[in-house]
Amino acid sequence: MKIGIPKALIYWKRPYFWENFFENLGFEVLLSPKTNKEIVEIGVKVSDPETCFSNKIFWGHLLWLDRKCDLIFIPRLKATEEKLEYCPKLFGLPDLAKILVKTPILTETFDPRKGKTKKTFEKLGRKLKKNPQKIKRALEFAILKEKKIKEKQKEDFFKKFQIKKKKIVLISHPYNLYDDYANLGMEDKLKKLEAEPIFIEEVPIGKKKLRVKSQKLEYPKFHWEFGKEIIEKIQEILKYKIDGAIEISSFNCGCDSVLKEFVEKAFKKNKIPFLYLIIDEHTGEAGFQTRLEAFIDTIK
Amino acid sequence: METTHQSTKPIITFARFGNYTSAFKTLFENLGLKVIPPEKTNSRTIAEGAKLAPEMFCFPLKVTLGNYLPALRKGANTIFMVQNVGGSCRQRYYGVIQDKLLKENGWEINFLDFKATPRDIYRKIKEVSGASLWQILKAARFFFKKIGLIEKLEKMAQYYRPREIEKGITDKALTESVFKIEELSEEKDFPKLKSKILRNFSKIQIEENKNLPKVGLIGEIYTVCDPTINFEVERKLGNERIEVYREMSIIYHIKKAIFPWKDWTIQRKIMPYLKSTVGGHGRDAIYEILHYIKEDFDGIVHLLPFGCMPEITVRPILEKIHQDSGIPFLSLSLDEQVAEAGINTRLEAFVDVVKNYHKIKSKKT
Repeated sequence: MKIGIPKALIYWKRPYFWENFFENLGFEVLLSPKTNKEIVEIGVKVSDPETCFSNKIFWGHLLWLDRKCDLIFIPRLKATEEKLEYCPKLFGLPDLAKILVKTPILTETFDPRKGKTKKTFEKLGRKLKKNPQKIKRALEFAILKEKKIKEKQKEDFFKKFQIKKKKIVLISHPYNLYDDYANLGMEDKLKKLEAEPIFIEEVPIGKKKLRVKSQKLEYPKFHWEFGKEIIEKIQEILKYKIDGAIEISSFNCGCDSVLKEFVEKAFKKNKIPFLYLIIDEHTGEAGFQTRLEAFIDTIK
Repeated sequence: METTHQSTKPIITFARFGNYTSAFKTLFENLGLKVIPPEKTNSRTIAEGAKLAPEMFCFPLKVTLGNYLPALRKGANTIFMVQNVGGSCRQRYYGVIQDKLLKENGWEINFLDFKATPRDIYRKIKEVSGASLWQILKAARFFFKKIGLIEKLEKMAQYYRPREIEKGITDKALTESVFKIEELSEEKDFPKLKSKILRNFSKIQIEENKNLPKVGLIGEIYTVCDPTINFEVERKLGNERIEVYREMSIIYHIKKAIFPWKDWTIQRKIMPYLKSTVGGHGRDAIYEILHYIKEDFDGIVHLLPFGCMPEITVRPILEKIHQDSGIPFLSLSLDEQVAEAGINTRLEAFVDVVKNYHKIKSKKT
């Protein structure tokens, strides 16, 4: 049996995890290719015109997978282990996918507030007719592999600080950072301009939990997982020496409109140059390049 | 900070909410607070609010921000804003963002951002007014009486408007009554006023037993309830001899917040379409459209602020239901750049579709 996974949006919340998990269970996994012009065009055509750009890309990936596999896996991510919520647009993904494609959708609700994650995986296994023991082993292997990748990321992060180049933090959701088409090859562009991009995703946070009352902080207590994560990581990265910060957000992203206010404030307070870029299906590469060059010139 | 605010007397302003604003005003007044009500929404206040607010934020934040500003200029120094009425959506951060924006623009205000739980509401009210529990309960009772009456009048107006013989008389009666309710400050005079208003309404001459097309209004609560934001969709449809229904109102929302079983029914009914909450009133929109189709309605108008996260998520589902059932469906997303002429054109076309649909349907039966 072939299981398709759209390589967009929620995939990047846990990259490489899902494909490892299903491969360990003995399924063939079909990932959609990297985002390209064709995929974006299909996505924009079928999706609601007011939804965010990242969502539109997701529908493109989904339609690419249609009829190429037996099942398409779209988890309904509702909350993290820390009981923080995901974006509400992700809650409805499997239901909206059902309207768009004819291939059956494999889904399970991941909500640690209502049931343990281990049990959710067992439920998922039952849908695939696999016994709990096998699921447990597949899960352990997948998590182990995920850990290895994360450790390597951590090493790379510290290596980056040894390079004598201007360091620029890229702040965005993982699905914008790792998707080279969506962010118009931001990483390469910065490297060509002789700057070293640092993804906010890669910033390691210490395990110490700071228990400060939210009233004393300059930002609200976020109930969104990325809100808390990004703000905490920004506090962490401010301890290192960085030269500039760029926030990328997809057009009409509701969560970013809240987050941007506090991200901008944090950098302005520390007198670090800050650039805010919005991406959507009409973004021109030339305009992007000009703004980046101007920004790099200001920090030199 | 704390001490300066305690020395100056708090003068309250709050977020405007359609016709219900007057009830909120009395609520604060009965708690012994001085109130300057927010300015009525018009194109100027909207432009002012949009200028301050972040560009990508949703429309109600900009509108309410624009409503505060004239009141602040008149001398208000304390703003009430409710938090997390919308579940997972952005509404949770309205207070924080508005507080930040106003302070950045040089307003020295005390922003009271409270959670929609009885304990938090009680604590915040106690903090500013020092009213006793008995006083709070009494004020709340009067508030609910007023809200109940306004909602009843709105429902009656929806029925009378398409049937009235003399055009425009229902709207006149409605605005007059809302004004009278606003003026009333003593609870003991309430029953007298209520019977007077209802008598006034019953005097309106209508054509009985008329088979009129019916349209349901669904969508986000703020845009659906506030006629100044949605370009008076209710009145415009009513004047075209179409009966308008809407479920959304403050009482409906409060009832849902207190008693969870309404949510359970909604979830059970919409199971084939959506298996989870999406925040805000996303699920309610699907439930209502299914309900209206069952009740044999002739059209659905879906109202939402531009980019509203829950409504955008459910809109493809609403469109799917519309395609399956064939019921006329119009989705209007509103923001500061939408012009009334554009809305009017779309409504006119929609009215024609609804009337045709109604005619064909009544011929069949």
